[in-house]
Amino acid sequence: MSIQVEHIGKQYGSFKALDDVSLTIANGELVALLGPSGSGKTTLLRIIAGLESPDAGSILLHGEESTEHSASKRGIGFVFQHYALFRHMTIFENVAFGLRVQSRKIRPPRREIRERVTELLRLVQLDSFARMYPDQLSGGQRQRVALARALAVKPKVLLLDEPFSALDAKVRKELRDWLRRIHDELHVTTVLVTHDQEEALEVADRVAILNRGKLEQIGTPQSIYDHPASPFVYNFLGNVNLFHGRLLADLSPQERGDSAEESIQSAIGFVRPHELELSRTLPAKVKAVSASVVRIHAAGPQVRVELSIAGNGRPTTAELDRRRYEELALVPGEKVFIWPQSIRLFDDDGARALLLDQGAGI
Amino acid sequence: MSNRGANSSSALLQPSMQQRVGRVVLIATALVFLAVFLLLPVAAVFTQAFSQGWAMYRDSIHQQDVLSALRLTGLVAVIAVPLNVQFGISASWAITRFEFHGKSLLITLIDVPLAVSPVVAGLMYVEVFGLHGWLGPWLSEHNLHIIFAVPGIVLATIFVTFPFVARELIPFMQAQGSDEEIAAVVLGANGWSVFWRVTLPNIKWALLYGTILAASRSIGEFGAVSVVSGHIRGLTTTLPLEVEMLYNEYNFTAAFAAASLLTLAAIVTLVLKKSIESATGVHQHGQEKESES
Repeated sequence: MSIQVEHIGKQYGSFKALDDVSLTIANGELVALLGPSGSGKTTLLRIIAGLESPDAGSILLHGEESTEHSASKRGIGFVFQHYALFRHMTIFENVAFGLRVQSRKIRPPRREIRERVTELLRLVQLDSFARMYPDQLSGGQRQRVALARALAVKPKVLLLDEPFSALDAKVRKELRDWLRRIHDELHVTTVLVTHDQEEALEVADRVAILNRGKLEQIGTPQSIYDHPASPFVYNFLGNVNLFHGRLLADLSPQERGDSAEESIQSAIGFVRPHELELSRTLPAKVKAVSASVVRIHAAGPQVRVELSIAGNGRPTTAELDRRRYEELALVPGEKVFIWPQSIRLFDDDGARALLLDQGAGI
Repeated sequence: MSNRGANSSSALLQPSMQQRVGRVVLIATALVFLAVFLLLPVAAVFTQAFSQGWAMYRDSIHQQDVLSALRLTGLVAVIAVPLNVQFGISASWAITRFEFHGKSLLITLIDVPLAVSPVVAGLMYVEVFGLHGWLGPWLSEHNLHIIFAVPGIVLATIFVTFPFVARELIPFMQAQGSDEEIAAVVLGANGWSVFWRVTLPNIKWALLYGTILAASRSIGEFGAVSVVSGHIRGLTTTLPLEVEMLYNEYNFTAAFAAASLLTLAAIVTLVLKKSIESATGVHQHGQEKESES
């Protein structure tokens, strides 16, 4: 079932939780809503679920206006951050709950309920836990029960509210892969709320990035990683180096506009750590900056080198692969030259992305 | 470093002479206090009750007036307690699950009966429902008797006991949160199913605990009931009132026999309360929540 979010707005007192957010989620798609806390992602999910009502805009489920429909009538499955399992029921009864409370007319017979629950517990690999109670299970197991419970009523939409954030890193990674496999098997339209960019980029078909109640960007993981639409998205997706400077390079005529003064303007530039090149000698063809090595973190496949550039307050980080690092044999304190392989520029208030020829100076 | 650690831990394990003496003194004080102010009086009640032998005790209780007082006390409890359970659940549900204007006022109002002297509570009802009260003329016109009749006693008892259930449930439901209920709603359950299948099973022990406290208070209430009762023997006299009347008539054996029934009710309450506490840890929800997360 497709989900259309149209111009949704929600306000709590003077705080704008959501401000004119629109997006469309296709049938069978897995979309992650990604953003820092307070960005409105959970509010948006709860509005889609019908647990909150928007102040403005509408929600269409499968093309049908559903803004006024109650949560219990929307045919959704919802998975909570803290599981919200029924603590006084066995795992079996938890999963069976959604079927048992159906009205007599549509409720499946007992035998069918038992079969369906058993099948779901097998799907989440917990069939041997059916008679246990939630407090006898680990966090990861509980969240799998919660997912089975949500799936029991054959929801047309599955909504997950930071489902893995209460779990430790290893379990989180396992469950994330497993969620993707289940999604590929069942093809239920799924919306996942998360503040973990790695989780979003890895699991989702498309990622929607929210900031302060506004939709910053939506796209496939690769497209938003490679082409962030705003400084915020750049910052939010992984480590980044930020440079302030004046733009000296020629802008293309469209960019420049009519006024000649605009061709020289202040700008901010973003360079990801792995896009920084590093050398002991001054390179011939590009403009490089001199920097000194402050610290080296060599644990892991990538070696992180912290650098300081004279006159630039914040530290700059470069990432090298191991072979390059061993070639260079850097030591803390020595002087090196750095230059970006690519840089992405925004004008000073971050509102507009600027195009730039490769290799221009900072 | 390790040396100091060992020293301090052994100091904890083996208290100094001074600490040991202090502990013994504290415990002894508490025990003596309990013995003088609690155990001795309770023993006295039973001693007095049985001072003329078992037969006399039985006869005292089997008096017509004592029996009807016992019945009335039971009747009042049977009416007041379920109403309070109903009120307690509704109030706690509203307070812990919804945001509304006047919520903090409602929480404060629930405590009023605990803050007000029961005699004042009784007088308030006389002022409202009494013959010369606000509703008095209208009530007597329609031949309705509230003050100096059973309805007044029930009303006064409800007033005095209504905080008990709500005060048990509110902190408990706050600690549990509403996640499970929301989950049930999303799964398609209607309000009725949510209450019976999710809310009630979760709060049942706290609810029972509050109910027992309310029942025990409604059986034992004296002050408020005394004001509205009118002390009509065999009609509007509850067991606590009967005890006082017998005592004022110098009928000590009968007074203490009736009092022993109230004492027994209190002991039963305490045992029930204790067993709920140890069975479920109702009064440890703080820790429970912590270990869970």
